[in-house]
Amino acid sequence: MAGALDGIRVLDLAQGSFGYAGRLLAGFGADVIKVEPRGGDPLRAWPPFAADHPDPERGARHLHLDGAKRSMVVDLDAREGQALLRRLVREADALVESFTPGHLAARGLDYDRLVESRPDLVMVSITHFGQDGPYAQYAGGEIVDAALGGYLYLTGDPDREPVKPYDDLVLQHAAVHGAVAVMAGITHRELIGEGDHFDVAASEAALFLLGGMAQTYHFDGRVSKRVGARLTYANPLYPYPSTIRPCRGGYVHAHSNNRHIDLLAALMQGVGMEALLDRPMGNADAIDEAMDRWMAEKDKFEVVRLAQEMRLPFTEVLTPDEVIRDPHLEARGFFVELEHPAAPGVRQPGAAAMLTGTPWRVARAPVLAEHTDEVLGDVLGLDRAAIDALRRDGVIA
Amino acid sequence: MTRPLTGVRVLELTTAVAGPIAGCALADLGAEVIKIESPAARTTAGAAAPPPREGAPDRPWNRTPVFNDLHRGKRLLNMDLAHREGRALFLRLVAQSDVVVENFSPRVLANLGIDYPQLREARGDVILVSMPAFGKSGPYALRGSYGPGIDAMSGLSHLTGYPDRGPGKPAQFYCDFHAGLTAAFATMAALRHRRRTGEGQYIELSMLEGELQLLAPALMDVTMNGRSATRIGNRHAWRAPQGVYACAGDDRWVAITVTTDAQWAALARALGHPEIAEDARYATHVARMQRHDEIDALIAAWTRGRGHVEAMHALQAAGVPAGALLDVAELHRDPQLLHREAFSWQEHAEMGAFPHSRLAWRSRRGHHGVSGPAPLYGEANAYAIRELLGESAERVEALREDGVIADEPRGGRH
Repeated sequence: MAGALDGIRVLDLAQGSFGYAGRLLAGFGADVIKVEPRGGDPLRAWPPFAADHPDPERGARHLHLDGAKRSMVVDLDAREGQALLRRLVREADALVESFTPGHLAARGLDYDRLVESRPDLVMVSITHFGQDGPYAQYAGGEIVDAALGGYLYLTGDPDREPVKPYDDLVLQHAAVHGAVAVMAGITHRELIGEGDHFDVAASEAALFLLGGMAQTYHFDGRVSKRVGARLTYANPLYPYPSTIRPCRGGYVHAHSNNRHIDLLAALMQGVGMEALLDRPMGNADAIDEAMDRWMAEKDKFEVVRLAQEMRLPFTEVLTPDEVIRDPHLEARGFFVELEHPAAPGVRQPGAAAMLTGTPWRVARAPVLAEHTDEVLGDVLGLDRAAIDALRRDGVIA
Repeated sequence: MTRPLTGVRVLELTTAVAGPIAGCALADLGAEVIKIESPAARTTAGAAAPPPREGAPDRPWNRTPVFNDLHRGKRLLNMDLAHREGRALFLRLVAQSDVVVENFSPRVLANLGIDYPQLREARGDVILVSMPAFGKSGPYALRGSYGPGIDAMSGLSHLTGYPDRGPGKPAQFYCDFHAGLTAAFATMAALRHRRRTGEGQYIELSMLEGELQLLAPALMDVTMNGRSATRIGNRHAWRAPQGVYACAGDDRWVAITVTTDAQWAALARALGHPEIAEDARYATHVARMQRHDEIDALIAAWTRGRGHVEAMHALQAAGVPAGALLDVAELHRDPQLLHREAFSWQEHAEMGAFPHSRLAWRSRRGHHGVSGPAPLYGEANAYAIRELLGESAERVEALREDGVIADEPRGGRH
């Protein structure tokens, strides 16, 4: 069965964690051609690696984020490489890139130049702070973008320094905004015939994640502070718990049934919970203590089982090795093992979506430059002699 | 202005955050999104509501900043789907809509008697996007959870936080925002497929499986190397230094990350320690990770007497990636966010000027920013039932009397 984006060709020049935009597009069936520099996307050099053996074909991030893409190497610093990219743009529907603002312009490959080759091009640029403004040339990164978008200040415990969420959550969230932008552009072009340039900023993706806190401030002037694993609401009548608490040998995420607050007292008898639920958020510390007493002798699986039986949405705090063995994900066949010449049989995350009409595309990540000749052949119609000449001149690899 | 999804009608059967975010992105892109909310879903209490704008009636349920940000640019139909007539009206609306987005728990939808085959009977090419917490099959299909509970089961909670404390949580609702935007993406892809083939489809987006896409490094470290990672606080997994450093003032911080050896040399000079810029004991990430505590002390001694924004500018000028940790007040006056118009201002009927967080881009054609203010309670009741379904004013009145539709909330705890 064809994918939802069957027939759409995307040139993916995005690097690092921004490559998740292209992965979503490829999963939905687009032909995503990863255009890499000579040494490959830096993502390929990031750990962890299969069997801890550093190799551009064995990195977990690359194997996952570049799944179902094709790879070609083009030297965009060379004039012939720039000309080649312009020819590819003519045959592509969309281009996604994440260079520092000005990098592509210096090579004659910015939107204003590329539309000369393809007037209805959809181009999506994903950067840390956007293409313009006082910080446009500032150096960014996950922790910096999370800081300037206000997300970092609110993550962590009240008595400690703010703490960064795991890995590249903000950058990957920006990549999803980028994928949505590609679809907005493709949609507009298919209906109206015009292209567009979308200028995505990861720091603005962090701002988007604040979930109403910046709005609340505008109206009440209250500057939200870190609240640990709780939710940032000050109203003492607000439902509670929504937090993480220890139990025997682990932790659970504890959450109230927001429609039936009293269920928590029905579950946790003998710890004085009834008296605390008239002002749940106002009594949060006391509720924590009562929960801790009730959970102290139970492990996380037992706590969650008992809570869920009463429609209390508790869940276990799982460690990565527990997630990999999780019976639910196993039953759904979520993790996949793919044949790969350099990293065979690595178990990795599977489909991000289940589509009944247009299945998610599962395919291994490409070896660096695996499809250079194939793309130059099928997309540009170059013959063997022309491809050999480009390779000899060092324009492609 | 025409936006990419102008002319597309979406019915949103949503609760909490993930579902509303999906509709919010589609509305920002020009779709007509009709949120259908039960009259029992909220109360009239609204204890935390800011005061009404001058001259506006005092209806606190119309003034929740978080709810209104999540529903900007939408229409709001307050109708009871558990009522026989409400369900019948809903199916007639489906016949006139392109997409239905829902994120109720599987139990709720089953109790309402709504599923994809029934929607297809109402409209053959309908697209149904479901966003269950864990997916509609498997042992946890009927488990309830909000977004933060999914963070727990994805491994994200375990991996976020301080190494010397228990599991933590990314602020607010990361999982919901990720799932919501993914759903908007999937919806547009399905619409594109329908334009080409005339076929709708059913899409299931497990919020857990969406979030697991972001955890590949930790999950694959288990499958590739048998290593189960844990929290590392603000440090980077393989580069150094990286951290959040205290600055002058109360709860003021600057984030610094060094991604190359050249940036390290620049940082050392900026800190006033040119001698260590060239020192072999600090020359590589591996070497610096071994001396991370010592380096942190040097950085902290420099940041301690400086303002967080001042420290950022000084370090950026030296070529070091650094960012001030902005609080919500500072976000509203940050020159970069102001320049980029990162807040998209709308005039709300009862709250006045309202700064919405737009999707994270600007577009050459102006396809950015939100498309309208949040609706008032019951705003689309008459529109949906009279204009779309062609019923009379008397019928609307009767539905109101029977409690099928409502102009004010009448239940729930919040």
